[in-house]
Amino acid sequence: MEDLQHMRRIPLSQHTIGPFFPADYFRPGDNDLTRLSADAEPTGKGTPFVLTGTVRKEGGDPVANAILELWQADAAGRFRHPEDPEADKADPDFLGWGRAWSTIEGVYDFRSVRPGPYVEDGRKRAPHLNIIVMGIGLMRTVETTLFFPEFPEENAQDPVLTTLPEDLRHMLILRDLGEVDGVQTYGFDFLLRGPRGLETPFFET
Amino acid sequence: MRNDTRRRMYDPWPEGVQPTVPIEGYTNTWTHTPSQPAYRRPLTRTEVTGPADLWRKLHCGDSNLALSTTGKLAQGLLMEVTGRILDEDGRPVANAIVELWQANAAGRYTHALDQRAAPLDPNFLGHGRVRSDESGTYRFLTIKPGAYPVPVKDTWWRPPHIHFSVLGPSTLSRLVTQMYFPGDPLNDWDRILQSIGDPAARQRLVARQLHPAEVGVDHLGFHHDIVLRGRNATPEA
Ligand SMILES: [Fe+3]
Repeated sequence: MEDLQHMRRIPLSQHTIGPFFPADYFRPGDNDLTRLSADAEPTGKGTPFVLTGTVRKEGGDPVANAILELWQADAAGRFRHPEDPEADKADPDFLGWGRAWSTIEGVYDFRSVRPGPYVEDGRKRAPHLNIIVMGIGLMRTVETTLFFPEFPEENAQDPVLTTLPEDLRHMLILRDLGEVDGVQTYGFDFLLRGPRGLETPFFET
Repeated sequence: MRNDTRRRMYDPWPEGVQPTVPIEGYTNTWTHTPSQPAYRRPLTRTEVTGPADLWRKLHCGDSNLALSTTGKLAQGLLMEVTGRILDEDGRPVANAIVELWQANAAGRYTHALDQRAAPLDPNFLGHGRVRSDESGTYRFLTIKPGAYPVPVKDTWWRPPHIHFSVLGPSTLSRLVTQMYFPGDPLNDWDRILQSIGDPAARQRLVARQLHPAEVGVDHLGFHHDIVLRGRNATPEA
C-alpha cells in the first residue's frame, strides 16, 4: 500500500487562468505583505516599501487582470517553512506572500517590508523578491526575481541573478522612485513578450 | 543530506507535459507568451519554500458552489468533485489552497468580462476556495459546467471544464490548470487541451466519473487527483 502510494507521479500540465479569474478572489489587503491578514496588525520588523509598475504585452500594450504573486523572506532573511533551518526564528507576524491584480491600465502594486539577505551553501543571496505572473494568454505561469538597487555588491554575487547573461542582469534591478507619501517606493514594469533586452527575463519553473 | 534532497526536488518537465505555445487560434498567446526561453537557475531556499499558513490571508471554506447564499440550488446537473493534492512522490499535500472557478450550466461565467448571450444563473457564482485536509483531499459540490465558444474566425468551443489554481508548499509547486470531463467530443477539438503533446498528460487532466452506485441519487461524482511539482515537506500550521 505504502509503496503503491509513493509511486513516482508526473505533475499536471499548466494552463492559463483565462479571462474569468473571479474578481472576488482579490480582496483589499491581499497585496499588503506587511499584514499577515487584512485584520492583523502590521509587522514591527523591517523597513516598509511599496513596489508599483505595469504588466505589458507585445508592443507595450497594458495587460489588465494579470495576477501577480509575491514571495519573499522576512526582514532578517528567514522563511517560516521547514526548508529554512532558522524557521523557528522567522517573524511570526509576516506571511511573506501577497497577491496583486493589474488594473485596466496594467498597473499593479504591493506593499511589504524589505527582505534580508541570507547565506545558503556558503553563497549569499542578495535581498530579493520572487514574483509570479499569470494572465490571459499565458499558458504557463512565469516567474522572475527582482533585486534592490541599494545592494550592487550583493547583487553582483547573487547565485540566481548571475545565471543571467551579464547584459540582462540590470533588467531585474528595481527602479528607485524615492519616497512617495513617506514610504520608500520602487518601480518595475513587466514586458511579457518583446525582443531580447526589452522582454523581462524569466526563470525556469 | 538535506541539501541533496533539495537539489533533486525538481526534475525537468517531461517531454509533452507542458503546453506548446503560442497556440493557433488562441490570439492572446501570440502577444503574451515570452519569446525568450526561461533561464535555468539554481534552486535556493526562496524557490523551495512557500507561505506556511496562507489560509490566514485567503479565506477558505467555500466548498458548496451549487447552493447560493439565498439557499437556492443552481441550475444544472449537480455533481461532487473530489480528489487528492499530491506531490511527485504521491505523498498527500495537506493544507494546500485550492481555488476553482467555472462557467454555469449554460456555459457562461458570472464575470463582468463574459457578456455572451447565454443566461446567467442568479443562484450560481461559480467559484470557491477550499483547503486540502491531512490526507490531501479536497471536495466540493457544484453543477456540471456548460461548453462555450471562443469568438475567433475559426470558431472553436471550450469543452466543459473547471479551472483550478493550487497553492502548495513552495513557489515551484504553484499550479494553474483545468479539469475536463470524460467522453466529451469537444475535448479532442479543444485547442487549449490539445496544446499538450503527450496523450497521457492530456488524459491526466480528465476526471474519472465515479460509478453511480458509489455516489447515490443526490448528485453525480467525479474524482480528480492533482499532482503538484516537487517532492516536498509540508509546511506546518
Ligand atoms: Fe474557462
